[in-house]
This record gives sequence, C-alpha cells and structure tokens, in this order.
Amino acid sequence: MPSFLLPLLIAATVHIQAPAPGSQDVETCLACHSDRNLAVALPDGESRGLFIDRAVFERSVHGGKLGCVDCHSDMTEVPHAARPFNTRREFTVAYYEQCKRCHFANYSKTLDSVHHAAQARGDSTAPLCVDCHGSHDITPPSQPRSRISQTCAKCHEGVQSTYARSVHGRALFEESNADVPACTDCHRSHDVGGPRAPGWRLKSPEICANCHTNERMMKKYGISTNVMSTYLADFHGMTASLHRSEQTDTGAVTALCIDCHGVHDITKVGEKTSPVMQANLVRVCQRCHRGATASFSAAWLSHYEPSWTKAPLVYGVKVFYAVLIPFMIGGLVLQILLHLWRVVVNR
Amino acid sequence: MTEYVTRFNGRQRTEHIAVMSLFLVLSLTGLPQKFYQAGWAETIILWMGGIDRVRWVHRAAGILFTLLTFTHLTTAIGLVVTGRSQLSLVPTRKDFTDAIVTLRYYLGMSDLKARFGRFDYRQKFEYWGLVLGAVIVILTGLTLYFPLFVARFLPGELIPAAKLAHGNEALMAFLVVIVWHIYNAHLSPDVFPFDTSIFTGKVTRERLEHEHPLEWAEIEERRRRGHGGQNVWVK
Repeated sequence: MPSFLLPLLIAATVHIQAPAPGSQDVETCLACHSDRNLAVALPDGESRGLFIDRAVFERSVHGGKLGCVDCHSDMTEVPHAARPFNTRREFTVAYYEQCKRCHFANYSKTLDSVHHAAQARGDSTAPLCVDCHGSHDITPPSQPRSRISQTCAKCHEGVQSTYARSVHGRALFEESNADVPACTDCHRSHDVGGPRAPGWRLKSPEICANCHTNERMMKKYGISTNVMSTYLADFHGMTASLHRSEQTDTGAVTALCIDCHGVHDITKVGEKTSPVMQANLVRVCQRCHRGATASFSAAWLSHYEPSWTKAPLVYGVKVFYAVLIPFMIGGLVLQILLHLWRVVVNR
Repeated sequence: MTEYVTRFNGRQRTEHIAVMSLFLVLSLTGLPQKFYQAGWAETIILWMGGIDRVRWVHRAAGILFTLLTFTHLTTAIGLVVTGRSQLSLVPTRKDFTDAIVTLRYYLGMSDLKARFGRFDYRQKFEYWGLVLGAVIVILTGLTLYFPLFVARFLPGELIPAAKLAHGNEALMAFLVVIVWHIYNAHLSPDVFPFDTSIFTGKVTRERLEHEHPLEWAEIEERRRRGHGGQNVWVK
C-alpha cells in the first residue's frame, strides 16, 4: 500500500468509530436550550427565542445525523462570546451559508436565483435557505406536494391564492394530483427564476411544453399534444421561436402560451371564464390587435390541425398544393428529360 | 457580318431585371420563413439579421413587386387597346397542337417539328404562370400584411388559408424557376451557357429563324411589303 494513503485510512477509521455524530454535543447544548424561556434581547428591541424543541429536531431530516456545532460551528465555548447582531435577520443572514458545507450543489444554484439577485441588491427580506426549509425543523419540502406552494405563499400570497383557483392549483389541492405543476416545477426550486429574469419570457413556452407535449401524461386528461406544434406553425410561435434563437432581446413582443391562457390563473379551456373560449377569444386578441373583430379571432384555429371538419378552406388549400406542386414540377422535369433525350438521339 | 433582330425593347428588358431581382429578394426572405423550423432556414434568417428585419425586407420587396405587376399589366392592356402591341402572348388553339407535336417529336413518334411564332407554348405557359402566381401571392400577401382589415369584411379562416396559399404558391414559383426557367435560359443545349437575349434585347437572325420561324416569316413579309423590318440590323 502506498504510504501516503495511510493518513487517509486512519482518518476514515477514526470517523467511522466516532460516536453518533453530535449526539454528545446535542446534550450539552440542550442543557441550556431546552429551557422554553431562554431568549436573548437584541439591540433593536426584539427578542430572539433560543429554545430548541428536542422532539422537533429529532423528527427533522437532520435529527440523529447532525450535532448543533455542525451548523453553529463557532458556538463551541460556553458561555458563548457576544455576537454583533442587531436584529434576528442579521443573525439568519450570518448563519445561512452553513448549509453549503453539505449542500453545495443546491447552494450554488441559489446564486443564479432571483432571490439571490434581490439579496445582492440589498434586500434583506429575500429568502435564504432557512426561510423556505426551516432550521431545526427541516422536513422534506415536497411532502406533501401542496406544501411547496404553501412555502412560497409565505411571501407570494397573492400569486398563491390565484394559483389555488387555477386548473393546476385545484387539481393539486383538491385531488393531490401528482402531474400538475407546483410553483417549483415552472419556477425551479433553488435557481428560482421569474418573469424578470433575462430570457425568461421567451423561454416560457418550453416550460408548458414539458408536460403538454408528453403523450402519456396528456392522454390521461384528454388534452392534445399538438398544442406546441400548432403554435409553432403559426405566426406567433414562429416569431417567438426565432426571437429566442436571435438571443438578443429586441424588445419585440409576440403572443406566448401565457399571453392567451394566463399564467397563475390558467383555466380549463372548456370553462366559461376561460379567456380562450371562442366567445372570449376576441378580447384576448384585442389586447395586442386593436380593432380586432370576432372574424379576426377565427383566423386562429385553436390549436387544431386543419382538416375537412376543422378549417376545410385551409385544408383544401393544403391538399390543392400537395397535388399541384409535384404534378407541375414532375411534368416540367419530364419534358426537360425528353428534350435532352431527343438532343442525344439526334446527334 | 451577322444579322440581328431586336426582340425585346428597353421597357421589357428593364421589367425582366426588376422582376428577377425582386424574385430573388422575395425568395431569399420568404422561403426561410416558410421552412423556419429547418436548420438551414433559421441560419439564413439569423444571418440576415433576424426575423423582424427579414419580414420588413420581404414586405418592402412585396410592395415593389405589387407595383411592378400592376404597372406591367396596365401598360400591356394599354398597348393592346391602343393597337401598339399584338396579342402575341395570348394562348391559342395552335399552342395546344404545338405542345402535342413537340411531345410526339421528343418521344420519337414523328420527325415533324412545331413551327413557333413570336412566343412558343412554353414561353406563354411560363408568362401566364408568372402572372397568375403574381396575382395569387399579391392578394394573399396583402391579406397577411393587413389581416385586421381583411377580417373586417371576410371570414377569419381566409387568413391561415392565405398563409398556406402564399407559401405554397411561392414555393411552386421558385421550383418552376429553378427547374424550368434555369433549364431553358441556361442549361438547355440550345442556349448553353446563357441565353442573353432578354438582357441585350437581340438575337441572331439564324436563331430566330430556327426557334421562332413564323415570327421571322412575318418580319420578312413586312419587309417585302416595304413597311416594318426596322428591328432587323446588321453588325
């Protein structure tokens, strides 16, 4: 065995033989922190409770795995040295990076989030790990799935209540449907994005397409998976697709999925309140096309592929050229070949 | 010393250059729009500066093409009405028999060659194909340019129908030009490599006698009677 591996081996052995991590220091800390009234007064007048509920911690994902000083790594002396925090928030901000020691991948994702961007702008209310996950009481964040949107609702209450009434939200809350998107399915969880993130708007149809082009999933609900291809075949979809490829925000706008169907308030198309019901559609068109008439909104074939029953005129044109073009070009090529053949024969 | 005949006047030569240039611009900015989901089409669109600019150029060229078509047709009608031009491009029964005679000749079923006048049936076919195609792409193009206006009077389904018709008609025109016109003007053994007559306006007497014998006979006849023939010159 190469001698340089020896220290590693010893280190590993020592680690394995150590007592259940932190169990000892938990007891040490709880000697004081199991006092329900333990609190510290902060300079801003607020009081920070320092009570830790042993049962809650033990039920958390870290219970029995981590000890107090694994996170509170600078709290090794008793009594603790004075801390320079004026507010509870300052304390949270100072400690939140403890999570990255183990959860580095998710931590680094948060650096790309709108929440981190807000924090970097000096917004101290922007959520940190513990604001969504909790601290001593951390449990799996998506069990049950509806918990995800309740977590976001702590700050985004308006959006949450709109979402709860949408076709997706109702299925999630009333039927515990596992297919419908919760907040994080569209906005992602750690690298949270939103409409103000660069490129987000033009990328949004891909978010919808994730599920709405999934044959197996859509079959369950009787929804066509042609929605994306029919959108892309039309003027709006073409513009959106090419603007996305240009990768420069020209500021030009075109209708995306969300512009007609809504965002957090998406309804079933069959419902009377749906903006894309044929009867309501013209009002959707008018948002961009001033002076649009009911006849104008009929120009959009509602995600149907043209056929003899849906849009017979459009389908007729399609069939006409599908026959005419090969006939025409084939005939001309044939005449050219005959001409060449005759030239060769004449020689 | 070669004898030449002037076959196309300045206006006709200018019209050809104009329609050729506009056709190129419209094809280059139009076909990639029809096939934008294909890689090559997207590359062309991005190379030209993005879809917004491509659409702008296409519409500008479309307006010029509309004006050109309108001017051409009104001028032609005016010339015919005032008797300064013959109806040499109007299809006649002879064109159909000429086509059959030519096909029989190509197939080796007979050695009889059709004798053509000023324009043979292939040239008439291409001319009227262009005129009819122009009318279709102009009407459908304007429908796509002003959908709100059109939908005020007509059913909305016309707009997606116009979109399909516009792209397909244009694709057919493009293929006809690529296959048929390029063959007849460049690749055919009769003219290879380049039939220059539409640019210079002139053809040799031999060629005219060979390709349009009835037209040459008419010129000869007029010359014999002492009027006409000004378009024949020697160099």
